[in-house]
Amino acid sequence: MVEKVAAVVVAIKILDVKNSLCISFGLFISVFAGSAQTTSYKKRVLESTEIEVLTSYYRQDGENASVTGGIGTEALTDRASALVINMPLNEDDVLTLDVGISTYTSASSGNLDPFDDSSGASSDYRGDPVSTPVGSPWTASSGASQTDTWFAISGTYEHSSDDRNTIKSATLNFAREYDYVSYGFGGGVTRLFNDKNTSLGIQAQAFLDQWLPRYPTELDSYVEADRKLTNGYFKNIKIYDQWGIETDKDNSSWETAFELMDQKNRNTYALSLSFSQILSRKSQFSLFMDLVQQRGWLANPMQRVYFEDRPNYYVGSPEKMTSTLKSDYLLKKHEDVFQLADDIERLPDTRTKLPIGARYNHVLNEYISLRSYYRYYTDTWKIHSHTLQVEIPIKVKEDFTFYPHFRFYSQTAAAYFAPYDQLLSTAPFYTSDYDLSAFNALQFGLGVSYTDLLNQNHLGKLGLKSGHFNYSFYQRDTGLYAHLISIACKWVLDD
Amino acid sequence: MVKTFFGLFFVLIEITVLTACSVVKPYEKELLNDPDMELSSRSIDRFETNFQVYRESASGANGGKSGGGCGCN
Repeated sequence: MVEKVAAVVVAIKILDVKNSLCISFGLFISVFAGSAQTTSYKKRVLESTEIEVLTSYYRQDGENASVTGGIGTEALTDRASALVINMPLNEDDVLTLDVGISTYTSASSGNLDPFDDSSGASSDYRGDPVSTPVGSPWTASSGASQTDTWFAISGTYEHSSDDRNTIKSATLNFAREYDYVSYGFGGGVTRLFNDKNTSLGIQAQAFLDQWLPRYPTELDSYVEADRKLTNGYFKNIKIYDQWGIETDKDNSSWETAFELMDQKNRNTYALSLSFSQILSRKSQFSLFMDLVQQRGWLANPMQRVYFEDRPNYYVGSPEKMTSTLKSDYLLKKHEDVFQLADDIERLPDTRTKLPIGARYNHVLNEYISLRSYYRYYTDTWKIHSHTLQVEIPIKVKEDFTFYPHFRFYSQTAAAYFAPYDQLLSTAPFYTSDYDLSAFNALQFGLGVSYTDLLNQNHLGKLGLKSGHFNYSFYQRDTGLYAHLISIACKWVLDD
Repeated sequence: MVKTFFGLFFVLIEITVLTACSVVKPYEKELLNDPDMELSSRSIDRFETNFQVYRESASGANGGKSGGGCGCN
């Protein structure tokens, strides 16, 4: 019996030795493999090429069109698409190409030329044929500026250091629409500290933009005809005063200080700081701050203004030219009459913007998280604003998430804003653009996303990574409202 | 004003760093690594941000583009 026990003890010792050897060998291999990983293998910043296709449909309406001086239809639809390709160039470098195109149809932009000429069957007292230009701020004209296509492309190169604690990036941008072209470039550095719990980033960007200006047709034509109403476009068109009386064009008091833009550039320089901090295993926080300086022609040459201290003049259907024309003009039903602009909006040629924002994300439980964002903004045009945004991702299944979201926005008016026909011609700057007015806006909606965890769905060599759908409704207390539908699909290119 | 904002930015950073309880190790970041916890806008939000920049005066401080383009329509 004693011999048996001794034999068992010896056997256990041998096994222990074998186990110890095995464990030691395993540890050696793993340590060796670990050291080999740090010296000869780096995890790629991005494993495979990712392609994201995005598309959206936007529709808005309102009654404060800036092209017609703060009154009139703001109906606009915009269809936009974008393609974003993230390509790993090697273990450390990623190139991102972003191409976007959007086509809009805007009643207000169409009213840059609001006059759809009707027949010139009648004649004036000199015997010249008279045409009756028909237009209204409340209806869309068939003006050439009614539709436009915006195109943009940008490329971003990102390099990560070996320890992945430093990320450097450089960006080039180009965008063009029919009256505007934009060139941009920039660069930035992000540094991670504290076991990647903390990050600090700095980014600088410059946009060198150029107007290809289009002006309200009556102002452009007036200047083109050497400021004479008896020449050019207005030669055969009757002009009425605010009591509905036809004016003598040789002695008309409708005159405008309008002049063609003397500078066409608009440059933007932006310095951005960012900071993020992991607060716990369930929450993290970030801060953003921008210092943006704009210089050049910061007004929009398409946007008309009407002065309170100047008499009003109109063109259009003679039947509508009554003694109550001035008050009737504000009524939606009063169509076929258009008021001649006093000028285009004028704004200072510099603007400094200072937004500061913060995000706080928190995991509430296994299914629900909180994403929140707040921003305070101020600028040298005396606009102050607050933005508060909350989104609550709810995981209903492992691969499906719902995103109810809510946003509140509030701003004060720019120092140069006044509604239609309330601006003063003696002021150096003026605008009736309601995007620069005081207002509150609410936005809410619902998104849903599907994550294909194993890239099971394929389209050729592309495996689906995720799909997203989002609907948002937006309403301002100025009356403007909008609907937005967005769809996005992200694919991963098979190796 | 600019100095005040920079000052506020760095004070907020200091407060945040001081209130962060402890360093979260990589293996403890499972929840934080969820895409929904990213401290940036989601890519599908780009169109939303775009129309907000057009319709509102405030922009920036969201980790994205801070200028360029006319915002005309």
